[in-house]
Formats: sequence, structure tokens, C-alpha cells
Amino acid sequence: MNVERIPLIGQVLESGADDRVLDGLLLSGPIVIALIVLLGRNLLTEGIAVTYLLVFVGYVAYLGLQ
Amino acid sequence: MNGTKATLGRDIGRMLEALAGLVGVTAVVALVWGEFYVVPALAVSAAIPFGVGYALTTLFEDAEDPGKLHGMMVAASGWFAVALFGSLPFLLVAWTVELDPALLSVPSSARTSTLAAFTEPLNAFFESMSGFTGTGLTMTDNEEVLPRTLQWWRSFIEWVGGVGVIVLTTAILARPGSGSLTLYESEARSEKIHPSIVSTVRTIWWIFVLFTFVSITLLWLAGMPIWGAINHGMTGLATGGFSITDNSIATYDSVAIDFALLPIMTLGSIAFPIHFLILRGDLKNFYTDLQTRWVLGGFTLGSAFLWALVYFGGTYGSAFTALRYGLFQFVSAMSCTGFQTAVSSTNVALGNWTAAAQLTVAGGMVVGAAAGSTVGGIKLIRLATLIKGIQHRVSDVFYPASAVRRLEIDGRRLDEREARREFEEAGIIAVLWVAFLTVAMFVLLPVLPMSEYTLENVIFEVASAQGNVGLSAGITGPSMPDLGKVMFLFNMWIGRLEIIPVLVLLRVIFRRGGVYR
Repeated sequence: MNVERIPLIGQVLESGADDRVLDGLLLSGPIVIALIVLLGRNLLTEGIAVTYLLVFVGYVAYLGLQ
Repeated sequence: MNGTKATLGRDIGRMLEALAGLVGVTAVVALVWGEFYVVPALAVSAAIPFGVGYALTTLFEDAEDPGKLHGMMVAASGWFAVALFGSLPFLLVAWTVELDPALLSVPSSARTSTLAAFTEPLNAFFESMSGFTGTGLTMTDNEEVLPRTLQWWRSFIEWVGGVGVIVLTTAILARPGSGSLTLYESEARSEKIHPSIVSTVRTIWWIFVLFTFVSITLLWLAGMPIWGAINHGMTGLATGGFSITDNSIATYDSVAIDFALLPIMTLGSIAFPIHFLILRGDLKNFYTDLQTRWVLGGFTLGSAFLWALVYFGGTYGSAFTALRYGLFQFVSAMSCTGFQTAVSSTNVALGNWTAAAQLTVAGGMVVGAAAGSTVGGIKLIRLATLIKGIQHRVSDVFYPASAVRRLEIDGRRLDEREARREFEEAGIIAVLWVAFLTVAMFVLLPVLPMSEYTLENVIFEVASAQGNVGLSAGITGPSMPDLGKVMFLFNMWIGRLEIIPVLVLLRVIFRRGGVYR
């Protein structure tokens, strides 16, 4: 199945910077926030949030250094 | 029906339909928070703009695409209409609580003087205009006691307004062709990311939504509760400045949160096309793009100057405290965000800073940051054009009349005609900006209690309203005289659209109404 044919996901992939990692960050953003809302502040959610930010900053820096 | 009215009607209708959709999204928040008593008010608030919008779009379905004149009129009247209809949730929720129908089981905790202020239509309209234009001045006394639904509505309209109502409408309704480009440019934007305008606005939203998630996560990690992080992440990135707490960001009194907001406000101050290039790995745009370079330089120099004023002027005793408040307040001002950390309950309020410090902050508000971002103000590219244009004109004297000279701005080499046009445009907007600031000052000075506010307070507040900033010296509030509220409504409206589209609309209305020939 082609993920680009799924309505909302397809639009996100089509609109962005043609980069699957950044598209993935955009699509996983609501999930990260939902987890924080549902589980509250604990080591797991803080770990997820830190990972989310590190992937974003680290990946943009990596693209810049390439 | 003539062409102008049809084009205007069709495009405003589309904007109102999009607005109805925003109210619909907000109903979900009401259900999540269990605030069922606001749902009927939201349903009516969505039904009215949808009904009007649907009628207009159906009636004028075959209207022509807007030209430059129509585009400006659509932008000005559309923003006004959206702000007007966007006030309905404030007004109707406030009246729901005021009338307290037994069927809706309104909780007694909802009955507050803060919410009651919105039973005045002018206050509700002010709040809506302040939200959509990303200003952040408020008619609330204490945002904390508002229903969560209205807290969300305030943040949501600022978030949408940060990118632009027309950009939203274009992205949703996806109408290709020259009409969309004309409207896009009328909303104080010019640079495109892709050749297609629909692709451009969709990419702008893609960037904006991604940055919103990053901002929310960062604020939560810095220690802000998640509801605050969601709202402040949205309004911080949109450089709007509405808060859900009584004392803005000062409520948290946290160094970590103050410093976490700095990169968020900075993201909001950089133009979307530059974000797009940076996200593709082109990091050199941080220093090669003139506006981005000036944003970062302006934040650094302005903050350093303000730090010196508040530290050596004795406002704050410690160098770090002066840095914390000086840096935050300057970035908040120049990015046109309007978050406040300097309030009287935790430290020295902005309105009590020295006149020089207040005017430095006001200077940041007037200039603003990058065109093509979410900020207000005159914009750095115009300041750059004015400075370089003046240098160019002065140095003309030292060259022979036959010399062929070009003006270089932002990597572009402009010939005499192009330079003259850009310099003239920047000059006209700067002059109009100052003219309307002056008019607002003259309106405000006689209606405010003379002993309560100084001249620098008034200059500060007017610059804040017109620059769509939202920092307050304490003048704006529900007890402000109505004439002052109306003046600020006008300032916020013209400030968001960079004045000219509003003047074009008023000229057409007055001429057709026979006010002048």
C-alpha cells in the first residue's frame, strides 16, 4: 500500500521538504503530545520528549553539515 | 452585481467558511474539557459565519479573480470580517454564562468578572482583533479563570492569524491561479517557496505545524504544564503573545521557561522561505540572508543595550537578573510576541522601567523582525532599504551625473528605477506608520486619566498595538475608555496589513459613499 494515498498523511508528505525524517517528526508530534497528556510527567515521557527534540535539532544540523 | 462586490463577496465568503471550521475544531476542545455549556454558543458562532460565507460564495460563485485593487480590498475587509465574526465565541459564551439557562448547567465557577467583560460586544471584538492580528493586548483581567475553551480560542486564533487568514483559506480551498497570488501578496507577504502559490502556503503550514510541536515539547520539558505549553507554544511561535495566565510568562517565574521561549520567538521571527531552506540543510542562510542576519544581530544588540540600561540604570541589582529580563523583553518586543516577564507581582513592571528602557523596547516593537514571518512592525527589510537607500542617495553627490550606480539589497542589484520604487515604498510605509502612531497618541492622551500614565507609557502602548506586539504598560484593559479601544482596534488592523490595503479600502468606501471626491 502506498502511504502517500492516505488522505492526511499524503498531504503532509506532499507539502513538506521532501524529507521522510522531518515528515515523520511532523506526523509523530501529535502522538508525543498525546502521550504527555495521557501519562503525565515521568521518566518515559521526558525521555520521549527529549528524543523528539534531539532528533529534530540533530537531524537539521546533520543536513547542514552534509 | 458589479465585479468588485462579487469578487469581494466570494472571497470574504470563503474566509468566513474557513472561520466556521476553526470554531468547529474548538468545539472538540470544549468536549474534551467537559465544558458542555459552551457548545451551543460555539454552534451558533460557527453557524453564523458559515451561513453568511456559504451565501456569499454561492451568490458570487462566478466572480472574477481579484486584481491588485480587489486583492487589497479583500485582504482589508476580510480580516475585518473575520475578526468581527471571530468575536462571537467570546460574546456568546459570556452571555451563556450571564443568562445561566438551567438546561445547560453552567458551573458557578464560570461566572467571573473577567468573562463578564466579554458581554460588551466592543470588548469581544477587541479580543478577537487582537488575537487574529497576533497583537496579544487583552480585555481580560485574569486569563486563568476563563473557560478552557476560550483560552484555546484565544491561542488558536493567534496561531492561525500568525500565518494569515488568507494563507489558511488559500491552503484549504486550494484555488490555483493569479487570484491566490494577489491575495497572498495583499496579506503582507511576497516571497514564495514554490512556483505554485497553493504549494507555497501548504509548505508554510507544514513548517508552522512542525515548529509548533517542537515548541510545545520544549516548553513542557522546561517545566511548563502541558496545557500551558500547548497554548504558549502556539502563541509564542505565532509571535502573538496571548497567555492563559494572569501575569503572562511571569506567572511561572522560571528562568528555564524564559530561556526556552527565546528560540521559539526567534523561530517565529524568521521568514518561512528561509526556514524551508534551513530545513533542507542550507544552514548558511542564518548569515547569508539579510533579514535573518539582522534579526539575530538586532536581538543581540538590542538586548545588550537594554541590559545595560536596566542594569546600570538600577532597575535590577544583579547582572544576571538584568540579562534575564532585558533579553526576554527585547526579544519579545522585536519579535512582536508580547510575552511579559517584567510585571509588578514578581519584579519591576515594564511600565516602571526608565523612560530610556521603555523607549528602547518600543523601538524594537516599531521595527519588528523579518518580512514573510509571523511578526508585525515595519519589518527589517524596510529598515534595511531605508538605511541603504539613504546611503545611496547621499553618496550620489560624490559621483558624476553620468555614473551608472546600482543599489544592493539582500543580494539583489537594483537599477535606478527599481531602487527608487523600493525606497519609495519603504519610505511611504515608514511615514504612514509614524503618522498613525501619532494620531493614536493624540486620541489616547486626552481620554486617559492624566495622572496615571506618562507620555512614554502612551507611546509604548500605541507602538505595541500598531506593531501587533501586545506588551502593555498597563493602559489596555476592560476599563479603558471606549474611544481608546476603537483607536487600538484600528491600529491593530492597519498594523497587521501594513496600512496600505486598509487605506485603499477606506478610500473606495469613502469615495463611493460620497464622503469626498
